[in-house]
Amino acid sequence: MKVLSLWNLLLVMPVIGVLAFVIVQPVQVLPRIALAPGFALIDQDNHPLTSEDLRGHITLYTFTYTNCVAPCPQTGQTMQALQEELASLDTGGLPVRLVTVSFDPGRDTPAELSHYAQEMRANLNIWRFVTGGAAQLKQVIGGPFNTYYTQNSDGTFTFDPTFVLVDGWGIQRARYRSAMPDLGILLRDIQLLANEVHNSKGITKYAYEAAHLFLCYP
Amino acid sequence: MHTKPLTFSSAIPEEAAPSAGALMHRRPLIYLAGLLLLTLLVGVIIWQRVMPAPAQYGMVLQSPQRATDFALASSTGGTLRLSDFRGQYLLLNFGYTSCPDVCPLMLANLAQLEAELGAQAENVQVLFVSVDPARDTPDRLTTYLSAFSPSFLGATGDEAELAAATTQFGVYYQRRQSGESENYFIDHTASVVVIDPEGYVRLFFPNGTTGAQMATDLKGMMRW
Repeated sequence: MKVLSLWNLLLVMPVIGVLAFVIVQPVQVLPRIALAPGFALIDQDNHPLTSEDLRGHITLYTFTYTNCVAPCPQTGQTMQALQEELASLDTGGLPVRLVTVSFDPGRDTPAELSHYAQEMRANLNIWRFVTGGAAQLKQVIGGPFNTYYTQNSDGTFTFDPTFVLVDGWGIQRARYRSAMPDLGILLRDIQLLANEVHNSKGITKYAYEAAHLFLCYP
Repeated sequence: MHTKPLTFSSAIPEEAAPSAGALMHRRPLIYLAGLLLLTLLVGVIIWQRVMPAPAQYGMVLQSPQRATDFALASSTGGTLRLSDFRGQYLLLNFGYTSCPDVCPLMLANLAQLEAELGAQAENVQVLFVSVDPARDTPDRLTTYLSAFSPSFLGATGDEAELAAATTQFGVYYQRRQSGESENYFIDHTASVVVIDPEGYVRLFFPNGTTGAQMATDLKGMMRW
């Protein structure tokens, strides 16, 4: 009967609505994994770089040391490639930064880091190279950044190649456990962060918070 | 007299009876309207009761890992560990008693939060971690905090202990000399970190969030 099928349709509509939201995913978000660590480190120009300096910036961190030669995982190449692509990325004015943290302060002095930065053809306005005290580095990298590294008897390091994406609020949004994560995915994720900042205002903010609660992550 | 039996149809004049056809068309529309209203009502009730109000002022985190335990010297004497606060919402904030403006403001906001929570404040504990162990003795912390609320706890520790309690919460601090005098300021991150009763970092309020705003978010979280 006509009335009966209308009744069914109306009952089913909210369910369809939720399913559509989950399947079509008009709103995509990256998870808020953890707070990024607070730190005060020294960069390649002997200037301090603190976590507060990076607030308001979308930052990609990686952890390595300058004496990392193959078969040591080469994370620098990804940073180089990303540096090239960042110019074409439209983040609506949100600044993006790259930070390479060296866990070998014994050899990686600021001068050494500066030399390494030149080798990497780094644009120092967006890509900084930092280090700090050994205990402090273990606290920061091994702690909130959850990245394992250890020095071997021959002076080389064994470490999990990792990239961590941190948003402007100081929250870790993505971790890439690879020396060469897909550049397309990195760029997409930075774009997703920028979109969330720009779009989640007013009533649409509820859609973004719902996405955090209900959706699987890209 | 010849009387005709009174039948139903003959008893009602033709014009007064509404045509059966007209009523048949209107009925589905009435049902529709009623159903829409009912769905809306049910939907609103479900939304209010079941869904958590989205955090509007703080950031909700979905961390798969618990916060790492740490130990500090408590303002009430003895040692205080993060794990001591399982079963409660712990509101961590960081500063020092000689802090000119940011810390008193933050603590005032937290006191306001406590007032707004009312009875629910029983499940909430505010912990002020001092990053100035040289000057902030337990007694000094107790005196300082009592000006805001009798329930606030203070704690501090040496450099290593403070590192364990600050780094993982995105808190940075650094001493800054004040001119020629022996006086110094400490630059520090001013945010409030909320750890839930199971030990996960759930919510984070940036500096400047008022007590009323924090209360809104916390009440929504507690409902869930």
